[in-house]
Amino acid sequence: MSQVFHEIEKKIIISLKDNTKQTPEQLEKSTHLSPDQIRRGIEWLKLKELAIVNESQIITLSLGKNGLESFHKGLPERKLLDLLKNESKKLSDLQRELGTVFGPAMGLARKNNWVDTSEDKIFLKNHPSELPGEKTLKQIGENKIPKSEIDIDDLSNILKRPDFVIEDIIKTKEISLTENAKSIEITAGSSGAIDVESKVPDVFVARTHPLKDTIDEIREIFVTLGFTEIIGNMTQPCFWNFDALFTPQDHSARELQDTFYLDGISAKNIGTIEQIKKISETHKKSWRYYWDINEAKKMVLRTHTTCVTIKHLAENKPDEARVFSLGRVFRNEKVSYKHLVEFNQIEGVVVGKNATLRDLMGIQREFYKRIGITKIKFWPTFFPYTEPSLQTMVYNDRLEKWVELFGMGIFRPEVTKPLGITKPVLAWGGGIERIAMLKYGLDDVREFYSNNLSWLRSARKCQ
Amino acid sequence: MPVVELSYSRLQKLLGKVSKKQISESLPFLGLDIESEDKDLVRVEYSPNRPDYSTDLGIALGLQGLFGIRSGAVKLNIKKSTDYAINVEQSVAKIRPFVTGIIAKNGRIDDYTIKQLMAMQEDLHFGIGRKRKKSSIGIHDLDKISFPLTYTTTKRDHKFIPLNSDHELTISDILVNTDVGRDYGAILGNSLQVPLILDSKKQTISFPPIINAATTTVTTKTKNLFVEVTGINKDDVEDMLSVVATILQTAGFTLVSTKITGAKNTSPKLESKKILINSGLINQMLGLNLTTTQIISSLKKSRLDASLKGKNIVCTIPSYRFDIFGPMDLVEEVSLGYGIQNLEPILSPSQTLGQTNPISIKLKSLSLTMIGLGYTEALNSSLTSKRVLYEMTNRKPINMISVLDSKSQEHTILRDSILPELLENLSRNIHTSYPQKLFETGTVFSQGNPISETTSFAGISAHQDATFTEIKSILQSALKTGFNLDTETKTFSHSIFEEGRTASVLVNGKIIGIIGEINSKTIENYKIRVPVVGFEISLSGLIFD
Repeated sequence: MSQVFHEIEKKIIISLKDNTKQTPEQLEKSTHLSPDQIRRGIEWLKLKELAIVNESQIITLSLGKNGLESFHKGLPERKLLDLLKNESKKLSDLQRELGTVFGPAMGLARKNNWVDTSEDKIFLKNHPSELPGEKTLKQIGENKIPKSEIDIDDLSNILKRPDFVIEDIIKTKEISLTENAKSIEITAGSSGAIDVESKVPDVFVARTHPLKDTIDEIREIFVTLGFTEIIGNMTQPCFWNFDALFTPQDHSARELQDTFYLDGISAKNIGTIEQIKKISETHKKSWRYYWDINEAKKMVLRTHTTCVTIKHLAENKPDEARVFSLGRVFRNEKVSYKHLVEFNQIEGVVVGKNATLRDLMGIQREFYKRIGITKIKFWPTFFPYTEPSLQTMVYNDRLEKWVELFGMGIFRPEVTKPLGITKPVLAWGGGIERIAMLKYGLDDVREFYSNNLSWLRSARKCQ
Repeated sequence: MPVVELSYSRLQKLLGKVSKKQISESLPFLGLDIESEDKDLVRVEYSPNRPDYSTDLGIALGLQGLFGIRSGAVKLNIKKSTDYAINVEQSVAKIRPFVTGIIAKNGRIDDYTIKQLMAMQEDLHFGIGRKRKKSSIGIHDLDKISFPLTYTTTKRDHKFIPLNSDHELTISDILVNTDVGRDYGAILGNSLQVPLILDSKKQTISFPPIINAATTTVTTKTKNLFVEVTGINKDDVEDMLSVVATILQTAGFTLVSTKITGAKNTSPKLESKKILINSGLINQMLGLNLTTTQIISSLKKSRLDASLKGKNIVCTIPSYRFDIFGPMDLVEEVSLGYGIQNLEPILSPSQTLGQTNPISIKLKSLSLTMIGLGYTEALNSSLTSKRVLYEMTNRKPINMISVLDSKSQEHTILRDSILPELLENLSRNIHTSYPQKLFETGTVFSQGNPISETTSFAGISAHQDATFTEIKSILQSALKTGFNLDTETKTFSHSIFEEGRTASVLVNGKIIGIIGEINSKTIENYKIRVPVVGFEISLSGLIFD
């Protein structure tokens, strides 16, 4: 064990070597340390098993109002005897001179055979130099005296008189050194050495949010794969979130119970006249219903970031492009350990005359490889706006099962043609929290948004 | 996505010599996600565009194709007959104009089949029927009905004994007192006349789209079926009928036609359609080099018919596959028949150079600056609550942007500020060690034309000795180090801060935000026991547009 002591510890040990049992108050005086330093020093020494703290209680006695009066002016029975010292007196005269205490004083004097009565006069029979209780009274005086120092028999004469003696219970600590400590040689003065082996308090590094770290990592992967990041609004007219993506207006995904509609807010401009005309025609022809422009103008919180990319493609009509969009999307769900109403999505497209489904699968495989997922497979699935459509399944070693990650496909001609996009568009997308959950080993997605400092301070930076 | 429950042993009976493992491994390649498995039973999710997968019979057709047991399109063999006529009266035109139907004879119906048919009916109603609004089905015991039928309308006091009842009810009673009446009555609106199918003895057969009559209830004793579909569009009702007809034929029934006339209604044809494709498109989209023979064989495995016509392939699509719109849908059918697992991913070199968005770069740089100043990054929802945004911080709720029908009380209002959420975060960490220093950058929303979205930056510091000076120093250093901007503060008043300890933040003479010591009432509301100081500024227009 380390034998390096703090200055406080040294002073306490030295003092206790001289005077083996001391209260903290006594130590304050002997070491000239503050009460707080003494308290800390004792704690440290106790932890190192160098000091013993004995807690005990002391009963002290002091005088109350009547006790103090008797201390200064004598006990009532003393006063009685003094009055009778030179002459015998009438009972009525004594009563007048002593007042209310005459009765008890007279009773005591008679009982102890100090006085006697003859006819109507009272005379002194015996005059002791010290009456019972007087010794105690003198001993206590105006001080506080430990009960242990008092003659209990003598005390009993005055203890029960009203407001005579006050008993106090005081708890005290007594500190002494253990046998080990007694042999410690304290060298005076400071050597500069400290206890380098002792535990130190934790400090917390400020850090970026773990989910943001995952988002940054994903962003960087796609940028290095040749993709350019685009940013778009979270509030979108239905037109770009649904209609442009061939989702009919009576589709269940568009209902209030799945999508957040903004209360009483409609977009003024949703697209060019030609875009609106062509998209509405496609809907009427393919889905056979009355397409309502007011429905397309309703504002929603985007349900995916695909609305951002499709709008970008409609505005730029590139022949060759790789773009991606990353951001918050919303679903009207009950919040649970696996569902949030608001989460992050990455979504990207490749436009090119030679773009194929196998290229789309290749980009996915490369992305997963770079985030450390190598066990993947592809299954067919369905999305309203892509054909063919696939989903990636990745193997989760911890859960020992295949879990669904990104969805993907080639944009349907019903999506691209009305917007004047002529080259094939490969598209994919998916939730980022799911990937982050795999990385951080979380089972509850809500953890990312709880801003629980103990978690933020402890989550490892590198996963 | 809808779910259907399957039995492996029944699928094995329908398929022949195929193991349970082979079936379970192949289901995903039909686009069916296995949701749960329990011994012989397996529950799978199917896509709403494939209503034929709402029964095990339809799924068996798909699996036959994948296993090569049977390939090519399922042909409907419908016996022509004039015995089963439905006359449509003009009055239905205004409320539910179209009816169609088919007869299915000599089938065996056990409890399992009834269960599957009922489940299919419900799924069709919900999906392509758009909750019975577009189209709805009635399945009846044929032998309880006297043809010809009349599709007509009636008043709401018309009485009959509906399915699952033992006494007569009026239309109005049904709409008010039965579950189906309450769920679907709205489709009929306030119309005084409602649709009705009567037989030649004036017996009520069905009250579409709500409920059938009790007389025609299908039981395990039923041998012959009559299926009717009503709706608002002729193509939609025939699409739905084609799914039911295909499933019933697969279940062993013999189909017989109905004859429908009147008010623009005609007999259903349930004909297949033809789409022409060339192998070039398929190979280009899939990145393969398939021969026409391989393509034709793949399409057949997907239960379609295909043949070569010159350089093109003519694909014949049965009527129940109305999810197929054009050539791109056939590209997918080829990929499924060929097998997704046989497509090898390739990584072609990028023709473009990637670039991070300048906004992302600046926000990242700001984050790192704040980390250097000892602030931890928080992340909160943009969709939050009135309580957090306004009530707890005594801010006035003006021009709130709220969402309709949120399932969560905690997520109803779009945030116009980040600071209130950071304060909420502190309240959840009062038992964690101090100092606590948090920041967040993110989107805030305000009413506009139609809505403005800007990026906001907020920071907060909570500890025993937190002061205005401290937080001003932090903001000043962050903007100076990050973007070489000089910060000024001017006396200001804001309900989130303590009066006399509040300032507006200015850069180049323009107000960009607020800073100060958090109002003691707010701190009390959140039961935080240390002073809190904070700021929030708008980055839009400051470090990017």
